[in-house]
Amino acid sequence: MGEVIVITSGKGGVGKTTTTANIGTGLAALGHKVVLVDTDIGLRNLDVVLGLENRIVYDIVDVTHGNCRMKQALIKDKRFEGLHLLPAAQTKDKTAVTPDQMRELCDNLKKEFDYVIIDCPAGIEQGFKNAIAGAERAVVVTTPEVSAVRDADRIIGLLEAAELREPKLIINRLRPLMVKRGDMMSIDDIIDILAVDLLGVVPEDELIVVTTNKGEPAVLDGNCRAGQAYRNMARRIAGEDVPLMDLEANDGFVSKLKKLIGFK
Amino acid sequence: MKKDKGSKGKKLFVKKADDRLSEDSPAKSKGTPDEGVPSMAEKKKPEKSAAPDKPDKLPEKPDHLPEKPARKNTVESDPWQQAFADDNTILIKRTVRSGQCIQFDGNVVVMGDVNPGSEIIAAGNVVVMGALRGVVHAGATGREDATVSAFKLQPTQLRIANHITRAPDGDYVAPEHPEIARIKDGVVVIETYQMGQDRQSKIG
Amino acid sequence: MLDFLLRVFGKDSGSSRNVAKERLRLVLVHDRADVSPQLLDDLKEDLIKVISNYMEIDEKALEVNLDTSDKTVALVANIPVLRMKRTGKRAEKIG
Repeated sequence: MGEVIVITSGKGGVGKTTTTANIGTGLAALGHKVVLVDTDIGLRNLDVVLGLENRIVYDIVDVTHGNCRMKQALIKDKRFEGLHLLPAAQTKDKTAVTPDQMRELCDNLKKEFDYVIIDCPAGIEQGFKNAIAGAERAVVVTTPEVSAVRDADRIIGLLEAAELREPKLIINRLRPLMVKRGDMMSIDDIIDILAVDLLGVVPEDELIVVTTNKGEPAVLDGNCRAGQAYRNMARRIAGEDVPLMDLEANDGFVSKLKKLIGFK
Repeated sequence: MKKDKGSKGKKLFVKKADDRLSEDSPAKSKGTPDEGVPSMAEKKKPEKSAAPDKPDKLPEKPDHLPEKPARKNTVESDPWQQAFADDNTILIKRTVRSGQCIQFDGNVVVMGDVNPGSEIIAAGNVVVMGALRGVVHAGATGREDATVSAFKLQPTQLRIANHITRAPDGDYVAPEHPEIARIKDGVVVIETYQMGQDRQSKIG
Repeated sequence: MLDFLLRVFGKDSGSSRNVAKERLRLVLVHDRADVSPQLLDDLKEDLIKVISNYMEIDEKALEVNLDTSDKTVALVANIPVLRMKRTGKRAEKIG
């Protein structure tokens, strides 16, 4: 029996989809059977981030409405045998699926997969309610900005109200150098305010844009700092005890500077 | 224009079962255009259950779009044209964007682009006077003689009747000429669209 | 090198980090203080229970509210006392 984990954030654009794609791929790379479920009906994106957009025939709405069998809608990843995607519908709206249908869907999926990872849409309306309906654990993504942290706090409150206790936090797009010079909230500042456990911290990394452009998750790029962070998180979700990576070791700006003056 | 929300209203066709696209299907390799070489490989499943049903409820007709039956006077000689002669055609004078779905029991002509994330589903032919980058399904009710043509034919996925193809993984050369896709010998082929060449120029 | 940079760009920038943290803390107090009437009622009942150990109060006139001003949020309770009890809770326990 697998585990259903929802990746959510409240605010848009903080990296839910990127996180879902990378943690999912990371878990598959560890040998687990993983299915990624895109619940952002009408604004689907997980397929593009994974580079699987041209294989979609059926989607989550077809499955919940019984237009096809579950197996038919699941898209196998090109890189990992154990990784699958259940895409959202693009030409329908969020009311096409109900929380009850999501619960049933998750129950069915977790019979076949070790991890069912749900990419939640932004906001706290119907789409959010659908996404968390079948979840057993929650991961909240935020960035070190007041707006994102405030929304994360709201989401944590809503998750707790929905009996999803002890959500884990991911701090995305942290810029250690800015923190150091006092222009960005630090990991401790955010943890202090939100009072939740940390799952991981992802440093700001231009390679995320590059890998997303190509439709290849960053975890597969050995040189990608953000990819390393996601690999660590995948291992933590799988139960390993992995220390936080040293974010300053190779901060983008510093390393560029080093390259510039001939270190490397 | 027809913008079906999908959740309401009947699906115009029955999506083909079993033929998962997960495994790599053969890639689209560009043949020299004037040879008319089959270029988009096909995935087909001539399975009986896949024969799409005729929809019992058709999408409502748009009231503000010009729509006329195909011309009758040129069709008698050509059985291919006769097949579509009685069809309605809708003209969509705008770009079809992500999330929009055009479903029509006839031919669909788009004067604009069809963006990724959108769907055109037609019982007849699909003609796009622009770039076709979304999902397109011609002959959705089972007509294997339906065609898809576009100035830039770069669909996310191209379906004709119960055949499905998709663009190959990785980079490929963007088409420079208008192209037409149709089924030939049970295979979806993409050729350069040529004015005056056999029957395409006379589509009513 | 890094230290030099930090000296040039750093410390003297007024630390927007702390500004952010403080603003956020305040905003969240406001957000979280948006409590339901149900919660306030529960709080009221609990207050009555505790205070009744020490004094007799007019339960009907008791008011509990969250007051939000610009900078702070305060729990304001107006509890009319009818009579002090001779023996507090502590005395009872001993006795």
